[in-house]
Amino acid sequence: MSDDHDHEHEHIHPPAPMVDEVSEFEVLEIAVRELAIEKGLFTQEDHNQWTDYMHTLGPAPAARLVAKAWLDPEYKKLCVEDGVKASLDVNIDWVNTMPTKFGTPSDYCNLRVMEDTPTLKHVVVCTLCSCYPRPILGQSPEWYRTPNYRRRIVRWPRQVMAEFGLQLPEDVEIRVVDSNQKSRMIVLPVRPEGTEGWTEDQLAEIVTRDCLIGVAVPKPGVTNNAKRPVRKAVNPYKH
Amino acid sequence: MSKPHYDREHHVKKASGIGDPQCFKGEAPEAMFKVGDKVRIKDLPDLFYTRTQGYTRGAEATVTELVYESPPAEDESWDNTENVEWFYSVVFDMKELWPDYPDTFSSDTVETEIPEHYLEAC
Amino acid sequence: MLPPVRQKVMRHLNIVGQLQPALHEQTHAPSPDMIDNAHFRAYTRSAHDVGGEADISITWEEKEEEVWEHNTFVTCEVLAWRGVWNAEERRRRQNVEVGQTIYLGLPYYGRWLLTAAKILVDKQFITATELQEKVAEVRKRYE
Repeated sequence: MSDDHDHEHEHIHPPAPMVDEVSEFEVLEIAVRELAIEKGLFTQEDHNQWTDYMHTLGPAPAARLVAKAWLDPEYKKLCVEDGVKASLDVNIDWVNTMPTKFGTPSDYCNLRVMEDTPTLKHVVVCTLCSCYPRPILGQSPEWYRTPNYRRRIVRWPRQVMAEFGLQLPEDVEIRVVDSNQKSRMIVLPVRPEGTEGWTEDQLAEIVTRDCLIGVAVPKPGVTNNAKRPVRKAVNPYKH
Repeated sequence: MSKPHYDREHHVKKASGIGDPQCFKGEAPEAMFKVGDKVRIKDLPDLFYTRTQGYTRGAEATVTELVYESPPAEDESWDNTENVEWFYSVVFDMKELWPDYPDTFSSDTVETEIPEHYLEAC
Repeated sequence: MLPPVRQKVMRHLNIVGQLQPALHEQTHAPSPDMIDNAHFRAYTRSAHDVGGEADISITWEEKEEEVWEHNTFVTCEVLAWRGVWNAEERRRRQNVEVGQTIYLGLPYYGRWLLTAAKILVDKQFITATELQEKVAEVRKRYE
């Protein structure tokens, strides 16, 4: 479930003459997987099952959680008090949905929903690696994983957020949430003006992945992440 | 040298149907700090591995939540899960972390999670 | 698509932005009296602990996933599912023990992949010889 559907932007192609026919990465990946299977560490079926699980992931459930919270103050309270319980209402079971039945090994089972207010804006990072709430939000974007984002957002948040097109007034506290341990965070943004009387579907549509990370805020009529260049893969994975 | 035996099932047995960090609930000693407490991050030697960021060391923060019990990452990273402790969500003022942070935006903050053994009262 | 001259200008700005003077400190295993505590801390730092370091402004990009990147991610999660390691062991190895040069020199998923190969050898599930022979054999398939 790719969330960068918007392809009207610049594509960066790898410089063709510099790229070898088959890369060391591709060769090593095959070698590791085949050896692990030969030695009985896991099965091809295990690998396929996890791929199938990854295919179910994307930002839609998190967007729906936000839309529901906007429509129901009691649900919003639950989101803030117990993100794992609240996730069940959007069909995400942090413990049992995935093949392990103990959560995903990398994302654990402690979703924290960070509630924005008119004077508090959250933005999420993992300065140490790139921890991300995959079970409810899908795979992390490339920029989120960069040393650059991880270095700067925690010290110069307003500058970095401005680069993403988001500027906030002085009286708004920016809180950078560094998800460095077992919790995984999504942002519950403030419901924007101009959405009075909207349905849950309409509201969910404007809660983009970037809004859930915190580098954007929801706006009526904006249903995609902001346009930015897409670096093409040499041998792209197709779902 | 003989080959060690790895118990590859111990985590699935402990956490199946329960989740992680839920599977460690109740294993930590009584929490030392509560919500609202002011704490300082200890600059323990950063030998081999830590998940308590360098930028927090020696800085003061306020506890906002007792988030869960778990072995600290420094131990869990070597699969040592016997010593479980409370993890705290703490909030730092940007000004506390970065002396050159502009006064204009003096209310900005950073929130992160720290295990108890890195915290001391202040 | 920018006009050719504007492309040249942007490319030039990107390159000259990387031109920096460097004070080279030759280091070939110095004696202890030549290393102060600040340098000890710098050299033994955990490579992943980058929060607060200065960096330049860059263009934020999305990226298509490679086949090998997807497979690597799945392999790493499945190895943890089946108890070969846990995510924290993986992070320590992948984000710190690879060392500073590989940390910034290789792609993100390149470290995941090297680390998955290494755990199999370190825990004696395979020998280094088996790994090397398998890699050579796989490479032969593409010749």
